[in-house]
Amino acid sequence: MVEPLGIREHGYTCREVVDVASEYVEGALPPEETTLFELHLNFCDGCFTFIDQIKQAAALSRRVSEDELPEPLRLGLLEAFRDWKRS
Amino acid sequence: MSACTYSVGTVTEAHTAGHIAADDSALVARLRDGDERAFEEVVSSFYPSMIAVARGYARTRAVADEIVQEAWIGVLKGIDRFEGRSSLRTWVLQIVANIARTRAVREARSAPYSSFETGDAQPAVEPERFRGPDDPFPGHWRSYPTDWRTLPEERLVSNETLAVVKQAIAELPENQRIVITLRDMTGCSAAEVCDTLGLSPENQRVLLHRARARVRARLERHLDG
Repeated sequence: MVEPLGIREHGYTCREVVDVASEYVEGALPPEETTLFELHLNFCDGCFTFIDQIKQAAALSRRVSEDELPEPLRLGLLEAFRDWKRS
Repeated sequence: MSACTYSVGTVTEAHTAGHIAADDSALVARLRDGDERAFEEVVSSFYPSMIAVARGYARTRAVADEIVQEAWIGVLKGIDRFEGRSSLRTWVLQIVANIARTRAVREARSAPYSSFETGDAQPAVEPERFRGPDDPFPGHWRSYPTDWRTLPEERLVSNETLAVVKQAIAELPENQRIVITLRDMTGCSAAEVCDTLGLSPENQRVLLHRARARVRARLERHLDG
């Protein structure tokens, strides 16, 4: 069990925070909502950590290796490029 | 097939019509000149995002690769008419999406984006993680998530952890998978994704949020387990 904040402290409950986490991370929360949201984060370690985890999930996705161009496709495209150049 | 075949839709990025972004102008000039090395570079660097869009519509990887090939042929035919209303990549991705949609219509299948709101109302975090309505503090965490910043870097970015992320992304519903692939794996901007897939900014965010929330949940099981 953790020590909770007061009821609906600073406008948001933790459950509401997780629902709009990406809006916050994307900078899409309206300014007045952002202030309330950040007030909650300042006082709530759980939500602060959750937001960090969402950011980490995005950052780790960036490190996942991407699909590589298959060799037959690369060769086919190069041929198409040469045809196009000649046309 | 002419460049006019493709309707690229409204572009919301702040590009001035007729003015190609500095990054793109040199590249576009080299492509127009028939510079093979420039073509090879751009083909490789755009491939992950192109295949992500194509796979949203195609049944198999082979079909998605055909769509990518067809798109490049369209790009070459239309490159002289590229005006820089969007970035080169956005323009190319829009051509991929148009070709993929046309093929999907021909094969009488609907695209995943047309039904993006249905079938997945899974919450970002399980409701049991929060205190119930009878608790003195309803809606607050029962126990806090673990702070991953305290984990050793080697564990957080280990091949094992990255494999968990990759698997989590692969298992996402198609529309979420496409959006997270474009945004987080290949680094497209929100505007680029909206323009390519014809999504509203709100819908793009909903899909991204659900996708990231699922990846986070899988990471939590892995890292806390």
